[in-house]
Amino acid sequence: MTKIRDDLSRRDVLKASAGLGLGAAASATLLPTAVLGADAGSLKAESGQPVYFRGWEYRTDIVQDNVNRYNKEMNGKIDYATVTGDYPALMEKDLIAKAQLDLFYANPSQAVRFLEGGWVMPANELPAYDSIVADMYPNIRDAWTHKGKLLGLSYFISVRGTMVVNLDKYNKAGFGEGDYPKTWSELYSLLYKLREKGEKQPFLPHWFNEWFGIAWGYALEVMNRGGSVADPETHKPMLTVDGPAGATLEDWKKIWKDGFVPEELLSYNEASYIGAFRSGRYVISPQQIYDIKQFNDPQKSPEIAGKTGFLPYQGQSWGMIDSAIYMMTSRKRPADQTDDLKRFASWYGYKDQNGDCFVANRWMKESMLFSAYKEVMEGPQAAASIKSSLVKPTDYEKLLEVYQHTPYPKGIFNVVWAEEYNSWMKEKLFAFFLKDLAVADVINETNEKINQLNKKYKLG
Amino acid sequence: MRQNRASLVRRTSELTNLQFALLLAVPVVCFLILVIAYPLGYALWLSLENVQFFGGYQADFVGLANYSDVLNDSAFWHSTWISVRFTAESVILTLLVGMGLALILNRPMRGRALVRAIVILPWAVSPYGAGIVFQYLVQGQTGLATAIAYLLGSPNAINLLTQRWIVELLAIGNAWNIAPLLAFFLLANMATTPRRLYDLAAIDRMKRWEIFRHVTLPPLRFTLFVFTCIVMVFSLRVFDYVYTMSRGGPGDASEVLTYQLYKVSFQDLNLGYGAAMSFYLLGLILISTALLYVLWGRHETQ
Amino acid sequence: MKSKTLAILGIAVAICWTLLPLYWFLKLAFETIGEGAQFPPYLVPPRPQPGAFFNIFGHAYRTASGIDLPASGQAGQVILGIRNSLIVAVVVTLVTMVFVVPLAYVFARLEFAHKNKLLGAVLLAASLPPVSTLIPFYSLYVQLDLVGTVPGLVIVTLTITIPFVTWMLIGFFRNLPPVEQLARIDGFSRLYTLIFVVIPMARSGVTVAAIIAFLFSWNEFVYAQVLVTGTSAVTLPVALSGFLFQSPQPNHLSAALWLTIVPPLLVAVFLQRHVAEMNLVDPVH
Repeated sequence: MTKIRDDLSRRDVLKASAGLGLGAAASATLLPTAVLGADAGSLKAESGQPVYFRGWEYRTDIVQDNVNRYNKEMNGKIDYATVTGDYPALMEKDLIAKAQLDLFYANPSQAVRFLEGGWVMPANELPAYDSIVADMYPNIRDAWTHKGKLLGLSYFISVRGTMVVNLDKYNKAGFGEGDYPKTWSELYSLLYKLREKGEKQPFLPHWFNEWFGIAWGYALEVMNRGGSVADPETHKPMLTVDGPAGATLEDWKKIWKDGFVPEELLSYNEASYIGAFRSGRYVISPQQIYDIKQFNDPQKSPEIAGKTGFLPYQGQSWGMIDSAIYMMTSRKRPADQTDDLKRFASWYGYKDQNGDCFVANRWMKESMLFSAYKEVMEGPQAAASIKSSLVKPTDYEKLLEVYQHTPYPKGIFNVVWAEEYNSWMKEKLFAFFLKDLAVADVINETNEKINQLNKKYKLG
Repeated sequence: MRQNRASLVRRTSELTNLQFALLLAVPVVCFLILVIAYPLGYALWLSLENVQFFGGYQADFVGLANYSDVLNDSAFWHSTWISVRFTAESVILTLLVGMGLALILNRPMRGRALVRAIVILPWAVSPYGAGIVFQYLVQGQTGLATAIAYLLGSPNAINLLTQRWIVELLAIGNAWNIAPLLAFFLLANMATTPRRLYDLAAIDRMKRWEIFRHVTLPPLRFTLFVFTCIVMVFSLRVFDYVYTMSRGGPGDASEVLTYQLYKVSFQDLNLGYGAAMSFYLLGLILISTALLYVLWGRHETQ
Repeated sequence: MKSKTLAILGIAVAICWTLLPLYWFLKLAFETIGEGAQFPPYLVPPRPQPGAFFNIFGHAYRTASGIDLPASGQAGQVILGIRNSLIVAVVVTLVTMVFVVPLAYVFARLEFAHKNKLLGAVLLAASLPPVSTLIPFYSLYVQLDLVGTVPGLVIVTLTITIPFVTWMLIGFFRNLPPVEQLARIDGFSRLYTLIFVVIPMARSGVTVAAIIAFLFSWNEFVYAQVLVTGTSAVTLPVALSGFLFQSPQPNHLSAALWLTIVPPLLVAVFLQRHVAEMNLVDPVH
C-alpha cells in the first residue's frame, strides 16, 4: 500500500464531483453521533488537571482559538504552546525525558519512531476508535497504521510538491495550458525554453535547508518518476543509477550547473522558500498544495494572487503525500488525566460535542488543509474552500486529480530511522552540488546508508 | 545604621586575607565549581559511553573510542577549520572596526553624544537577532545589494550568501555586533591620554600615522589584548548567531564546531560522541587563549 | 579643511555601517506580509503602518489601504516571553552582582593560597560553550524537575554571567588606587571598606558590569531554546523564534525583534555615559 492512487480509477475521480472520491468504498456513511460516543457529556474534561498540547508554529491563532473554545465549552484546562526550532529533535528529547507533554503534532516520519520507542499511546485506545477508523479514507488510515496501531488522529494531509505555476509569467513567456509539462524531464526542458524567453531563473526547486526540504524533494521526484527510495515493507534501498534516482540527480546537476538555482536556496528555511515564490520572481515551484490558497490571496501575496495555477496530472504524479497527526504520549499520569487527554484528543482531532469535525473543517476553510476524514473532504465546505482558492473554479477537479495520484513514501516515512535518513540525505545532496559529487556515488552511498540503518535497527 | 557599621567594623576586623577571601568567595566558587564540575563530569562520563535512548535507555562503556572516532571524522576537521577561520576573521575585523569607530568618535564634534548613542546600537542586538538581520541583509532574495542593483537599473539578484563567502559574512556580522563595545572601551582609554602628548607630536611634525602609532596606540594596547581574548572566546563558542544566520549552510560551508556539536548531540542524540567532540572544542578554546597570552598578553603591562 | 572632510566622511561611514543592517530588517515591521515579500525588496516601506506591533500583542489591524493584518497566534507567548525575560534578566543581574562584586574584589586585590587555581576555574567556566553543557544541564534539570521553569533558567543563565562578569570586574578593581591601606589605618573593617569605600569608587565599572550581565541574560537563546520552549517559562527570544521557521511573517518577526532591542538599547545609551569612566584590565596579571 504505497500509493494512494492504488484505490482509484480515473472514472471514480471524475464521477465524484461532490468531493474527494478518495478511497474505494465510501460505504461508511455518517453514523449518528451517539454511536460514535461523541456526545457532549463524554467529551467534557473532568479531572481539573491540565492537558499539555504542543505543536509547531503554523497559524497558531487558529489553534489557540480552537483550544479556547474547548476550554470554555467543555470545561477544559488545555495548556497550549508552540515548540520552535528543530521540532523532531525537541520532541524526541521531551519524550525521552517524560516532560509535560500529552498531545502533540507529528509527521509519520517521526510517529513510527515514537511509537516504537514506547513513548506514545496509539489512537486505538480512544473510545471512538472504531468510528474514527470507519470515517477515514482507507489508504490514509493504512499510511498512518504501524503494526496494527493507528498512530494518531488527522491534522492535515497535503501534496508536498504540487507544481505551482505563476501564470502571469508563464503566459507572458508565450506558453499556455497546452504546453504544461507532463513529466519531470519535460519540466526541465521547459526551463531552458523559459530562459530563452528572458526568464533567467524560472524554477525554485524543493531544495531548502530543512529536514523536510531537499531530502523530501528528492524522494518525491524519484517516486514521481516511478521509483522509490526504499521498499515500503522491508525498507530495503531501491535506488538505481540507471533508474529514476539516477535520472533525477542527472537533471539536478544539469540545472545546477546551468545556473538555474540560486545557491542561497540551500540555506533557506521554509518561510524563506515560501516567501521567495510569493515574491513573484519565479515561474514554477513545487510547493504544498494548501499554500495555493495563500498564494492566490491578494492580502498575503499581492504579486501572484489570482495568478497561481498548478500543473495538472497528465500521466505522471507530482509531489508526494505529506501529512501530520495528533499523537498522544504514554507518560505516567493519573488515570483521570489520561481520560481527559483522550476526551480532548477526540474533540480536537475528530469530532466535537455536536458531532462535527470542527477543527478539521476549520482548517479546510481557513487554510485549505485536507483531512483524512471523508466527512470533511466530501462536505460542501471543502469544495467551496478549494474552489475559492483557485484561479478558475473549474480547476477544482484537476486539483483533486493531482491529489488522488500522489504517492506516499511509506518506505522512508514509516520506519524508525526516517529522521536520521532525512538529515543524512539532506547533507549528502547539498554536497552533491557544492562538492560536485558523482551521481553514481551518491546513489550507492545512499543505498549503503539505508542498509546500515536497517542493520542498526535490525530491520529486514 | 551607624551602629550597624560600627559592629561590622569590630566583628570582621581580625580576619586574615585568606579568611576574608574565603568568606566572600566561597559561596560563589562553590556554585561555580558545581556548575562547571557537574556538566564537565557528566560530559566526561558521556564521552566514554555509547548512550542509547531508543528501545529503552542503554549506556555501554566504550573507553576512548569516541575520542578516536572524532579524530577520524572529516566533518570534525572541516568544522574545526571553519571555526578557526571564522574566529580569526572575527577578531581582526572587530579590532579594526572597533578602532576605526573609536578614532572617529574621539574627535570633538557637534552632536557627539547622539552619534555615540547611534554607534553603540548594534551592541544592543542579541547574537541571534544579529543573525536574523544579516541573513536578511545578504540574501539575493531580500538583500540590500539586490535592491540597489535594481535601483541602478541592473535587474539581477545579488546573492552574497554563497559557500565561498559565508564565513566572511558571518565574521562581518559578528564584528558589527561586538565592535561597538570595544570602541567604547577604547574611547574610555583615549580619554585618559594627556592632551599635551598630541601637542608635542604636533611640534615634532609627526605624520598622522606616526601620531597614531606613537601617541594614540600605546595606552590602548592592553584593552586591545583583552578584547582579542574576549572576541576569540566568544567566536569559538557562539552558536545562536550562526544558527539564525546561515544554519551551517549553504551545505556545510559555515558549520562551525558548535553547530556540528549541536547536530551530533542534539539532532542525532549521539550523546557520547558529541561529548567527546565538545572536549576538543573546549581544548581549542583553552589552547588558543593560552597561546594568545604567551605570544602577546604577557608582554603587555598596564 | 581636508581633515574636516575626512572626519565627516568617517562619521557618515560609521553611521551607515551601524544603521543600514538594522534599518534593512526593522523596516519590515512597517510593511504588510505582501509588501515584505516584494522582489526586489522595497528600499522604504511604501505605505508604512504599525500593524505588526498590534498583531504580536494579539490585536488585529486594518491598514489605511484596507488590508487586514490578523492578530498573531504567538501573541500569548510574546507577552509571556517579555514578562519572563524581564524577570530572568533582572534577577540574574541582581544575583550576579551580589556574588560577583566581592568575588572579583577578592581576586583583584588580595593574595591568598590557591588563588590562581580558583581564578583558573572562573576562566574555565567562562570558556565553556553552552552547546556542550546543554545536554548535561538538560538531564540534570529533568531529574530536578527544573525544565520549563523560570528558576531553572535563572540558574543556568548565572553560569554564563558570573564567570564572564567576574573576569571583567577583576581587571577593573585592580586598576583602583590602593585605598584599603588608608581605610585600614582608619580602623575600618574589610567588609566595611569594600561596601562603603571600594564599591562607590568603582561605581562606573560596577554599573557597566551590571549592564553586561543584564544583556547576557536578556539575550540568552541557546539554553532557553531547549529548556523552556513550549512552556510557561518561555522567554522573548524563544517566542520570537516562533516567527522564524514555517510560515513567512517577516513583519511579525521584525516587530518582535524591535521588542528585544528596545530594553538593551535604553541600557546601552545609559552605558555610553558610564563606559567613559571605565577602564579594563586583564585579570591574569
